[in-house]
Amino acid sequence: MGAIILSVAGRLADGRVGCDYDFIFRLSLGEPFMPDLRDAEAELRAVLKRLERATSFAEVLAERTRGEGLAFDRRTTTATAHPRLRGAVVRAWGGNRWVEAACSGLEAAALGATAEALERDLGKGETQGPPPGTSSTARGERTDRPAHPMSDLGIEGMLGVAKEILGWATQVDGVRDCNVRIGWDEDERFYLNTAGARCYQKLSRAHGVAAPLAFENGRVEFDFLTAGRLGGREALDQFTEPAIRALAESARAMLSAKAPPSGTITVLLDPSVSGTFAHESFGHGTEADQFARDRSYLKPLLGQTLGPEFLTLVDNGAYPEGWGSIYFDDEGHPGQRTVMVDHGRFIGALHDRETGIPTGSPATGNTRRADFQSRAFVRMTNTYVEPGDWSLEELVAEAKDGVLLENATSGIEDPLGGQMQLKVKHGRRIEHGRLTDRVGSMALSGRVLDVLRSTRGVGKSDDFTIDPGFCGKGHSDMLPAGTGGVYLLSTAVVGVA
Amino acid sequence: MTPPAESADTAFRVADRLRAEGPWEVFAQRIRRFEIHLNGRAIELERAPVLLEGYGIRLLRPRAEKIGTGFQASNDLSDEGIREAVGGAESVAARSEFPAQSIRLPGPSATGRGDVPVFDETLWDRPLETARSYVEATFRAFDPHRNEVLSFGSVKVTLVETSIANSAGLRVRYPHTVVETEFAVKATGGPEGAGPGEYWVTDMARRLDPAALPGQVADWCRFAQDVRRAKPPPTGDLPVVLPTSLTMTILPTVLGFQFTGGARLREIAPPVGAKLGVDGLHVFDDGRFPWSVASGPTDDEGAPAGRHTLLRDGAVSELLYDSLRGAAFDAPSTGNAVRGLGFGYRDLYKFTHPPGEHSTTIVIEPGSGGSDAELVEAAGDGIWLQQLGWAVPDQVSGVFGGEIRIGYRIRGGKLAEPVRGGTVGGSAVAPPGSPSVLASLAGIGSEQHLVGDLAAPTLLVRPLSVSGA
Repeated sequence: MGAIILSVAGRLADGRVGCDYDFIFRLSLGEPFMPDLRDAEAELRAVLKRLERATSFAEVLAERTRGEGLAFDRRTTTATAHPRLRGAVVRAWGGNRWVEAACSGLEAAALGATAEALERDLGKGETQGPPPGTSSTARGERTDRPAHPMSDLGIEGMLGVAKEILGWATQVDGVRDCNVRIGWDEDERFYLNTAGARCYQKLSRAHGVAAPLAFENGRVEFDFLTAGRLGGREALDQFTEPAIRALAESARAMLSAKAPPSGTITVLLDPSVSGTFAHESFGHGTEADQFARDRSYLKPLLGQTLGPEFLTLVDNGAYPEGWGSIYFDDEGHPGQRTVMVDHGRFIGALHDRETGIPTGSPATGNTRRADFQSRAFVRMTNTYVEPGDWSLEELVAEAKDGVLLENATSGIEDPLGGQMQLKVKHGRRIEHGRLTDRVGSMALSGRVLDVLRSTRGVGKSDDFTIDPGFCGKGHSDMLPAGTGGVYLLSTAVVGVA
Repeated sequence: MTPPAESADTAFRVADRLRAEGPWEVFAQRIRRFEIHLNGRAIELERAPVLLEGYGIRLLRPRAEKIGTGFQASNDLSDEGIREAVGGAESVAARSEFPAQSIRLPGPSATGRGDVPVFDETLWDRPLETARSYVEATFRAFDPHRNEVLSFGSVKVTLVETSIANSAGLRVRYPHTVVETEFAVKATGGPEGAGPGEYWVTDMARRLDPAALPGQVADWCRFAQDVRRAKPPPTGDLPVVLPTSLTMTILPTVLGFQFTGGARLREIAPPVGAKLGVDGLHVFDDGRFPWSVASGPTDDEGAPAGRHTLLRDGAVSELLYDSLRGAAFDAPSTGNAVRGLGFGYRDLYKFTHPPGEHSTTIVIEPGSGGSDAELVEAAGDGIWLQQLGWAVPDQVSGVFGGEIRIGYRIRGGKLAEPVRGGTVGGSAVAPPGSPSVLASLAGIGSEQHLVGDLAAPTLLVRPLSVSGA
């Protein structure tokens, strides 16, 4: 992987590396928000044209965000307008390294100053061959056009939905309140490069969460239901009266939940948990920048059979209306479906333009920036377990004794050591092939390869879901990532968490 | 510490052009980030710097015994951009309701009680050079280690100029520095057959301390090697020793949420006087704790930062408020308005968030438990928990837990073989009479350490639930 140097603009008067900050900030005191990022195309192209004199390849990604949301409970109604931010990041090949610069705002002067800074950095490059990998030449314009845009629903509409949810939840004895959050975010990105790529996309993500709170003798517990996808009002369709009442019943049941079992036992993961399993176990391990760092336990296992024939794990940036779906990644590669594990065999990793070079693999449309302020990494989109042919009843019967883990709350990978941790809000004991007592929150721990090899069945497509979530790289750079799948039966260590 | 004479006055410039009725508040930041990303000992990426200047406008609209709150953030500093931001905030304020009749924002007399050390002059003057120097010092600290290497890492320096203005006449601005470090240490070598081991460590602080690196790196290398030979712990209820770095991932998240006016409004806060912890446990919130990432001269509304007692001898003493939540209970702000903090994640781009309530630095007063070795001896047969995978607790129930990334068995009062895999969990905070970390403290160490937003000694908890082999 080539070194990347990222600076913004200028150089301090004494010649030290840095920039004339006040100059740049003054430049950002510019024009109002423009109606469409494409209106800035001339200014963005001017940056590329200017850089073409100094580099064999340059690219620019402009971004603009907006949105609104509502937080509602029994006592408070808080409507929020989401941040309106805009800016651009410019990257160019310096012969032996990448150089990159970012600016706040899209005014011509700020972009010009950014180009000037890059020109100075490019002047330090050694040779001017082409950059590693294949430059995108994709061209396209894709805009979400949901049938029922959340922006049309508005705060008033969101408030109506939230009040209904609160009303349904508090009909359940012991449930006195319900935190409801509903909102939408629009992320508009415009990518241009000197190889001819021109990719415009406007993604609108609708999301909601309902969390009824149950009270008893000074104790408080809750359960939650999340919804999120590309698109509009349809994302909230799962917040039905029966679903919310069942959720509130579940919150109340948390008050009398028994302690989860401890030790190595049979585990049945619900779709939210199996999705997090796919994300943490294989997703992070196959982000091939970790291959380049020699920091993935999976790297030497490519091509090997690691799990049962009925297990297939996928990352799919083109999943229709998926929470983590993208039309184009931030190198201009189209979002696509990449099979990581095909019927038990580890066949594919996630690549940017560079990381696939050693294995002759093309970019997979997984280069993502959290925003225009953040660097690009290889990242997941929607990661899931493909359906098998077991019904839930058959899986529970096969488990005989163990625990069902429900409603994933978090996960964390161990890319070199091959361990993983998944946490869930609650579960059910499985005894004599039947679901029995509710148990409280717990963590699953284990070696990924052991869990894979122990997999004894995956559920049918009837149970398939993709849940909305956010994924970090290290401890930052959070971005939308979908996780999902079907029920999955295996063996692992579980305990209170 | 010599802060620059002039810190950015972004909020003042926005406020001067604001066309809105009060009460209003502008919180702004000018941010410069400098980052070095490592791939082994090679510099993979330098970001030098990344700039963002933006503001958030909050409008408060009293009506019919309620207050409507509206918030809009933007990085458009033009007159039109400010007008749009005001329009966005007015629009959502009209649809918001908070149960308070009036709110008193901090005024000009509220600011300034002397310096709080949150600003590192060397970093401010030479951020990238200082980060590079720290990276070089890190490399040198690895030189004596033959079988352990740095596989991945980053050093990020952020220079922030915060400014706050409001309709009560407040004008306050101050600079502060934040450093984030992340290192992954890979261990290889003998014994035959053992795979590589990794110890991953992250930290957030106000300044870099290269002098501490040789000792820190030696510890990281030892942990990475021990990962390779570690085995899962036994299953059962065992005494567990928690160093400050581990407790930091558990207690501030729960205490910082449950001990607030917002939690009181939701009937989740513990009542004053409730006995949640053992005798001898004294816990404070201190917004002025030196060099903490959660400290500053004011909170994120401009109210003076201060020190408040959360637990005295294990009993709840007081709750924390910002101006808005305090208004619901006719209580003054305690200087605990915090932006961009939730679920263990601290967003440095605070201007994009409206103020919420949270603890600043949780301070646990040292006890009589003595040194780490004495606490281990007191544990007898248990576990020293060095690192969990992701321990961040459920803020409502207080339950926490996670996978053991590295720890050590304690046998006969001495540290013994490493453990890894399996889980440890329990309740961080629980109602009176229920088991929890606070109620099950069997030892409070005598030496206090600052890690992130927790200043605490090592703690001995007897017992926690351990699940392993």
